[in-house]
Amino acid sequence: MRTKAVRQLGWNTVGIALFVVMVFPVYWMVSTAFKTDDQINGLTPTWFPFHPTLKHFSDAIHTPFFWTDVKNSIIVVLVTVAVAIVLSFLAAVALAKYRFTGRKLFIFLIIGIQMLPGAGLIIPLYVVLARYHEVGKLSGVIITYLTFALPFCVWTLRGFIVGIPSDLEEAAMVDGSTRLGAFVRILLPLVAPGLVATSVFAFITSWNEYIFARILLNDQNTQTVTVWLSYFLGTSRNQDWGALMAGSTLTAIPVIIFFLLVQRRIMFGLTAGAVKG
Amino acid sequence: MAVAAETTPRWSRRRRLSWASVRRGSVPYVLLAPVAAVLAAILGYPIYSLVRLSLQHYTLFELIAHKGQYIGLKNFGSVLHDQIFWHTLVRTIVFTIVNVGLSVVGGTLIALLLVRVSGWVRILLTSGLVLVWSMPQVVAVQVWNWMTNFQNGVVNYVLTELHLGNYYGHDFTQSTTSALGLVTTLIVWGALPFIAITLYAALSQVPAELVEAAEIDGARPWRVFLDVTLPILRPVLLILTSLSILWDFGVFTQPYLLIRQVHIHPSNYLMGIYLFEEGYLKSDYGRGAAISILMLFIVAALAFVYVRRMVRIGEAE
Amino acid sequence: MKTRILLAAITAVALGVVAATASAGVHRAQANKLTVWLQVDAQSGWPDVVAAANQQFQQDHPGWTIDVQYQNWGDHLQKFDATLAGGNTPDVIEMGNTEMTKYMAAGAFADITSFKGSFANSSNWLAGLAKSGLFGGKLYGVPYYAGSRVVTYRTDLWNKAGIKSAPSSLAQFTADIHKLAVKNSKVKSFSPVYTAGTDWYFAMSFVYDYGGSIARTHAGKWIGNLDSKASIAGLTAWKNFYKAASKAPSTSDENNPPPYNVFSQGQAGSIVGPGWFSCCTGAKYKAVTAQFVMPSHVAGKAMPGFLGGSDLAVPAPSGNKALAADWIKDFTSTSAEKALQAKGNIPNATSLLGTSVNERAAARSWFVPAAKHWVDVENGNILRNMLAQILIGKLSVAQAAASASDNITSVLNGA
Repeated sequence: MRTKAVRQLGWNTVGIALFVVMVFPVYWMVSTAFKTDDQINGLTPTWFPFHPTLKHFSDAIHTPFFWTDVKNSIIVVLVTVAVAIVLSFLAAVALAKYRFTGRKLFIFLIIGIQMLPGAGLIIPLYVVLARYHEVGKLSGVIITYLTFALPFCVWTLRGFIVGIPSDLEEAAMVDGSTRLGAFVRILLPLVAPGLVATSVFAFITSWNEYIFARILLNDQNTQTVTVWLSYFLGTSRNQDWGALMAGSTLTAIPVIIFFLLVQRRIMFGLTAGAVKG
Repeated sequence: MAVAAETTPRWSRRRRLSWASVRRGSVPYVLLAPVAAVLAAILGYPIYSLVRLSLQHYTLFELIAHKGQYIGLKNFGSVLHDQIFWHTLVRTIVFTIVNVGLSVVGGTLIALLLVRVSGWVRILLTSGLVLVWSMPQVVAVQVWNWMTNFQNGVVNYVLTELHLGNYYGHDFTQSTTSALGLVTTLIVWGALPFIAITLYAALSQVPAELVEAAEIDGARPWRVFLDVTLPILRPVLLILTSLSILWDFGVFTQPYLLIRQVHIHPSNYLMGIYLFEEGYLKSDYGRGAAISILMLFIVAALAFVYVRRMVRIGEAE
Repeated sequence: MKTRILLAAITAVALGVVAATASAGVHRAQANKLTVWLQVDAQSGWPDVVAAANQQFQQDHPGWTIDVQYQNWGDHLQKFDATLAGGNTPDVIEMGNTEMTKYMAAGAFADITSFKGSFANSSNWLAGLAKSGLFGGKLYGVPYYAGSRVVTYRTDLWNKAGIKSAPSSLAQFTADIHKLAVKNSKVKSFSPVYTAGTDWYFAMSFVYDYGGSIARTHAGKWIGNLDSKASIAGLTAWKNFYKAASKAPSTSDENNPPPYNVFSQGQAGSIVGPGWFSCCTGAKYKAVTAQFVMPSHVAGKAMPGFLGGSDLAVPAPSGNKALAADWIKDFTSTSAEKALQAKGNIPNATSLLGTSVNERAAARSWFVPAAKHWVDVENGNILRNMLAQILIGKLSVAQAAASASDNITSVLNGA
């Protein structure tokens, strides 16, 4: 009994130590946002800002396009995630439940696309979007993000759907329900965790994406929040670390909120699908 | 099938038959159509263009004129004859193995730890992992840059205070090993949350009875892990390892922003950076395309074994 | 069922696209719109100058709007390349003067020689800037503004060390440095003059001061010139100065940490860099910050300073060349240049030059070789690596210079 308690204490200590080490950079970012410029540039680190200042947050929020860019990011991410989930679900059902010619080829393409080095595609992709007159528009950015999110989403959802026995669907239909009814009652709840897990990945990747947003969006009215953040890095004059950290903290908040909201679902989701491959 | 058809009522037989015939129909193609359309519309031209560019002499001049000259496989030849390419390749393969190894092993250990700690510690640790996962890459690099700044970086300060050496004024990018070591720390730190949380979720699928049975039989924890836990985790581990290989081999943002252009040198190139420096900074797009295609083949070869296993597991259903 | 899902999918996509395009604002190609790319320095430093230029332009061309889009130095060239490939370049773009040659050689800009007469003070543009906008005898870039290098120093430390005036020669400066080092030996890692180990802008000033150069042309080919006697003399003088003056690590660069941060922490007696460094020396030392011109090894003269700056060019695919040139004319008018000067920049014409320290330093200046592959030398860190090797001491000055020189020769000739 005692050894068990000691062991438990041991594991807990390791866990807490790990927490401190992993989270330290995040803590550093957030605490720096509250420090004065002197404390930030000082030679001895200020471990905890006992006299926090809100100046950096205020500077960040009051930059001209902050709220506009936040709004743009939210639009881009929500549309990308919604469309990605719907489209990839359909494709995943096809790949998981049907046998048809070209299936192996499609799988090969899905995996192959994920192997392409992104840097090589920047300019050709820009040219394509320019041809469709999608440069400088949020819709162009959404389409780009969709293109990179779809392969991963299709592949992951396929894994979840493959794990659901087909007798369940057929049994539901024998019971007298319509196809739609069978689907809603049986398949969707089973796949829901998978949908949530995939949407989180799509959310995080789209919210944090920088390169394409930077290249495609020039007008500060249409930029996303990661581009807004880059302006703090771009001046050749006085780099404002405090404002940069404050801005970074602000951009991380929506992601954290979204994730914390859905994280329990992910546990089930990642498990159910992943284990079945 | 035929027996079932005889014994089931007429209305459901009709449904069964139509379900079956629909299966053989065009439905799968219709379902795939939207995804295929988006991918083809957006990536079709870029992929074709990438292949075409790799066969052309295409610099800034040709870019502006919208016209390149065909030179066949000369770009590939020039890259394959470049000593720097081969050194970078070897360095990147070693880098990938180290990063993937540390990420997957570290993630597994953290997942095992999560199982063993008390509930409140578990919540604390999981929340911490989520916080790390949600930081944008660009931001994370800036914070790490800041923390290892030779003048007032907190990492330098702590290491010096712990008497591990004088890190005041120490430039981490001075040598290849320390520069890439720093990059590895950043990448593994960023990768652990996704891997640990996924594996933890998978671990909760391991039937407790099996584990207990093995332990009652007197098996050491190590054997329990190998014989009971690992086989169940295998599909997840395959996915995570293959994804990590893909991502770590071609990584660009973190090393580029952390080491910074002024300290980048052929002796600390990674493939992603080599592609950027040789292809884009020098505005030799043809060469850049050739390097991209070579990278595609190499990473496909590296991940081949894992991917094939993944596809097979799915097929077995 | 499947059709319903499909319909739902299509509707979702449609709604998404509508939402995105609607909220993206009206960005259909407007008939009378001029697109201008300026760097963020203008946005934070002199937005009033931009506004004034826009106002003037709109007065002259009613019905036209100007869309000014601010860019970062780090990726503006990548973005420019993308627009060149896609055919939708801006009408005016701000380019760093060291970036011009590569793009002029590739045909990226429109020939605006015919508009030269309309630009204010074009007959006495600063030589260093004007050269960067010329290629093959034609004008492609209009000088916008420049910045030279000065020494920003702490008057209180100078007084405490008993130094009465700014040094008039390198030798005197070195003597002053020894006095400062002695007086401030208690301060951790104190540098009488803080400069980064690989700050090639500073190091090359020594090279040009002693009569050397980075590269020269001969029979249409470039030849690296750092291995010449004069260049080696300059590099040796720099090495000696550095060893006495700066405690920065050998491999450090001038961006990280910014020298003014070192200054604001009290670890530097002075720093070398652009004139605007005085903005950011921290609240503590603001009252005791002043500047002087870096002296040459020849008494009474200024050491040539790197003349950094920007040009304004009209990308070749632009459909509004005449109007773009007109906007540039408004933005580089005498009043605009005077406003820029008031903000601490060097205006683009000798006739406008004042007597600020920054401008006096520009009297003697040097510039990088006007080669289309020069950016490859910079990106390849050839000069930086040479300086680091010299400071680390593994190679002698002559050896490091010879190796760098060979490297420069092959890169500049397109190898």
